[in-house]
Amino acid sequence: MNDGTLIRKSLFRKKTRAILLILSIMTAFLIFGLLGSFSRVFTGGADSAAADRLVTVNSINFTLSMPYAYYERISAIEGVQSVVHNVWFGGYYQQPTQFIQAFASNIDQYFVVYDELEAREGSLEDTLARRDCVAIGRALADQYDFTLGQRFPLTSNIWQRTDGTFTWEVDVCMIFEAETGPTNYMIIDYEYFNEARSFGRDEIGWMTLRTGNSELNDAVSQRIDTMFANSRAETETTTEAAFNAAFVEQFGNIALIVTLAVGAAFTTILMIVGTTMVMAGNERRRDVAVMKTLGFSAPRIFGHVIGETVLLCLIGGLLGLGLAAGLIFVASEALAGSFPGLAMPTDIVLTSLAIMLAFGVVTGLAPALNAMRLNIVDGLSKD
Amino acid sequence: MIAQIGAVTMINLRSIPQRWGMSLATIFSIALVVVVLLGFLSMANGFRATIQGSGSDDIAIMLRSGSQAELNSGFGRDTVRLIETAPGIARTADDRPLLSSELYVIVDGRRRASGTDANMPLRGVGAEAANLRDGFTLTAGRMFAEGSNELVVGEGVIREYEGFDLGQTIRLGQNEWTVVGLFSTGGSVFDSEIWADIGVIQNLYQRNNTFQSIRVRLDNAEAIETLRSYVEDEPRLDLDVSNEREYFAQSMGGTQDLIMFVGWPLAVIMAVGAFAGAWNAMYASVDARLREIATLRAIGFAGFPAFVGTMTESVLLALIGGLIGALFTYLVFNGISASTLGGASFTQVVFSFAVTPASIIAGMILALVVGFFGGFVPAIRAANAPLLAVHG
Amino acid sequence: MTDALYQLTDLSKRYTRGRESITIFSDLTMEIAPKDFISIMGPSGSGKTTLLNLLGGIDRPSSGSVVCDGVRIDNMNQGKLAKWRAANVGFIFQFYNLMPTLNASQNVELPLLLTGLSGKERKRRVQTALEIVKLADRAKHYPRQLSGGQQQRVAIARAIVADPKVLLCDEPTGDLDRATADEILETLQVLNTELGKTIVMVTHDPAAARYAERELHLDKGRFVEQEVMA
Repeated sequence: MNDGTLIRKSLFRKKTRAILLILSIMTAFLIFGLLGSFSRVFTGGADSAAADRLVTVNSINFTLSMPYAYYERISAIEGVQSVVHNVWFGGYYQQPTQFIQAFASNIDQYFVVYDELEAREGSLEDTLARRDCVAIGRALADQYDFTLGQRFPLTSNIWQRTDGTFTWEVDVCMIFEAETGPTNYMIIDYEYFNEARSFGRDEIGWMTLRTGNSELNDAVSQRIDTMFANSRAETETTTEAAFNAAFVEQFGNIALIVTLAVGAAFTTILMIVGTTMVMAGNERRRDVAVMKTLGFSAPRIFGHVIGETVLLCLIGGLLGLGLAAGLIFVASEALAGSFPGLAMPTDIVLTSLAIMLAFGVVTGLAPALNAMRLNIVDGLSKD
Repeated sequence: MIAQIGAVTMINLRSIPQRWGMSLATIFSIALVVVVLLGFLSMANGFRATIQGSGSDDIAIMLRSGSQAELNSGFGRDTVRLIETAPGIARTADDRPLLSSELYVIVDGRRRASGTDANMPLRGVGAEAANLRDGFTLTAGRMFAEGSNELVVGEGVIREYEGFDLGQTIRLGQNEWTVVGLFSTGGSVFDSEIWADIGVIQNLYQRNNTFQSIRVRLDNAEAIETLRSYVEDEPRLDLDVSNEREYFAQSMGGTQDLIMFVGWPLAVIMAVGAFAGAWNAMYASVDARLREIATLRAIGFAGFPAFVGTMTESVLLALIGGLIGALFTYLVFNGISASTLGGASFTQVVFSFAVTPASIIAGMILALVVGFFGGFVPAIRAANAPLLAVHG
Repeated sequence: MTDALYQLTDLSKRYTRGRESITIFSDLTMEIAPKDFISIMGPSGSGKTTLLNLLGGIDRPSSGSVVCDGVRIDNMNQGKLAKWRAANVGFIFQFYNLMPTLNASQNVELPLLLTGLSGKERKRRVQTALEIVKLADRAKHYPRQLSGGQQQRVAIARAIVADPKVLLCDEPTGDLDRATADEILETLQVLNTELGKTIVMVTHDPAAARYAERELHLDKGRFVEQEVMA
């Protein structure tokens, strides 16, 4: 037996009560784990962004295009190491509901600018060899069971071909994976796409580029935007992280909503656990007085009470977080299409642990102080 | 029996202040559950109200086949000409068809609340556009002049985005625009739009003679079939014809569903937490009165009144919590303006949080369910209080 | 009389309840010799329990001093006092005051957590203490599974397990029937005579008091000493 035994035994003195408290703590951490993981899918882009990666879009709005010639002019700008130009393809597979996120790009540069991507099946060389070759991310390949070497029709809901159809036949020549960030998209060769489309030819959607050094970001952004000032399509260049964050912001303040909901859940358990522990403390005045009589010091008793609430919060919290992790794991495959890369991030786990400890201390503080200050004579006489 | 129930219930209720800490915790935890549920429901309801208020059964919208959304659609002037002579379309007194062929581009607007840029639809419309939106009124200024760089702006845009006030000049790319009028369509999606002359938009954005959509007013709601068969039988036309109300419901319903799918599970999980709290509080309540209850039993009271007394206390706490939550949500959330990226339009839709009677009822039911189940087991315990507890 | 275990000098205890000041006793002076077995009798409110609390260092006198084994304890700080209690005194209460969540051996082991003893050594001592009170076979029972007399024996084992010099007993048989009470008192007697524990026992039961070597009567804050007439 040690102090841990005492804490554990004391916690489960009233089993129903302990279980109910654990259940309510569980729900709060379940909510925190679920909302935290889901919202990360939206806000995660800002985290996986490389520090020296910039995005150049039409200054009026990123959905508007710019001339292809901009690509060559940007490539020549001092401080620009590599550039990829992209067009939003608006793709689907067989039926419009089977959405495919596809970009028409200069594929060779794509893998330079996004150097975290790695070919797992096939190679970049194979992909560049033929114009109808496409590179597909692992998550997208898994979603529609695309395999290396497969030929499939990629249909656009925007771009009409000069022959009147909307479909480009493509070959899967590479499947890529990424250490961080989503892989639920594919890249089709720009030339192959551009020569067949019936309108918007030689226009590109946006460009992504690397400066090699994040300290150059501001200067390079300025050079680019100055170069195209007062031209037909003025540009706006920002860091990839800022661009992603601004896009997420368009859905509304997700972070605020999550914070409010999680805050409400935590406030609830703070009140429930806090008041219950104060009540439990009042029931145990005699036990505390006896422990003190036996010679347990006030700080040690304080530690026991805090230890009890910390243990309570850890049990409830870990169960809730574990349940959240389990649900996220199960859901991540089913929801791969709409929530790519759904997983419980490490920092959510760490934050949860910190919150559990903090909650344990906060809810235990009042009863622990009461216990510490309890006068032995009062504690023994009253019952 | 009634008298017994009354007596025990009074003992229960009078004892609430003795355990005010736990009673308050129960009330507020249930209140928070209701706030979270109603918060999400009012968001979803507000968004739905905006979508449902948009579009009319008397208006048909035509897009390029398979494009599904205006943004993806595109066709030329020849298509518009063919529709102008189509059957089933209402006509003006001078026999022009009530038709507006339109094209929108997305431009950045600056959100008042956060200062961040968001996608706004800058819609080029024809002369009849206002007649093709039910409830359209100019609330200030005038309509834009044909061929000019003038804008009229929806009231939702003014509410959520800065820089679009009457008389202001806006620079989009190299072009300067002036806001000459404000309009309202009574809270529909169009209130989130900025309108300009279609010809100017086509010209400035290099979309000469390109359109995304044609809206027409039908002779009546049934005339859509006439129009549809005309379009299908005309080989030079490649268009999907839909009822405008259904078009909005389909293309934007997803956002509302998403809000509901988040809100309900969240509230239910929180309700489980509050339920555990309520149970716990009622257990404490029964514990504290075990001696009293046993005394009543000893002098001949039945077990059932003790059950009812505890259930009443629990349900009453839940009811108070539910009311506080509903009142708070109504006062704080109702009417709040918000804006989100709406479905297929890929532009912002401005809407107002709406706390509806139905959602308040849903919230109260959830609160009472928590109170009922939270009190149930403790109430059984009270009913079975051992008579020996009379000795304390 | 320097060989006394306890020296109480000019001891006073007053409580203030609201505006009223209640004097329990004043200017009490007494000594307790090592290995003594004293019973303290007296009517309710005579200050018996308060005196016991002062001896045990769980209450402080309003004035005067308490010296135990040459150490003055009435002005020690709480932390030192707790250590002193753990090392020097064992308490036995009327209502046993066992921890309901711990079984008999765990209850007995409790004071040993305050020592640096190894787990093995603690187990051995617990075993010995339980054997002394003849409860070794109930080691795994929880208090609610034990009779009143058995619970009190566990409490005695807990009081002696850390081998203190003094046992302070507050109505140890107050809640027990005669036969069980006699067993408990005999056990205390054995602890006094064979293990040399100094015992101070507060009781209002004359039959219990007779087990002691000395009976003191506390009345209105004054001692009236009586010889044991066993």
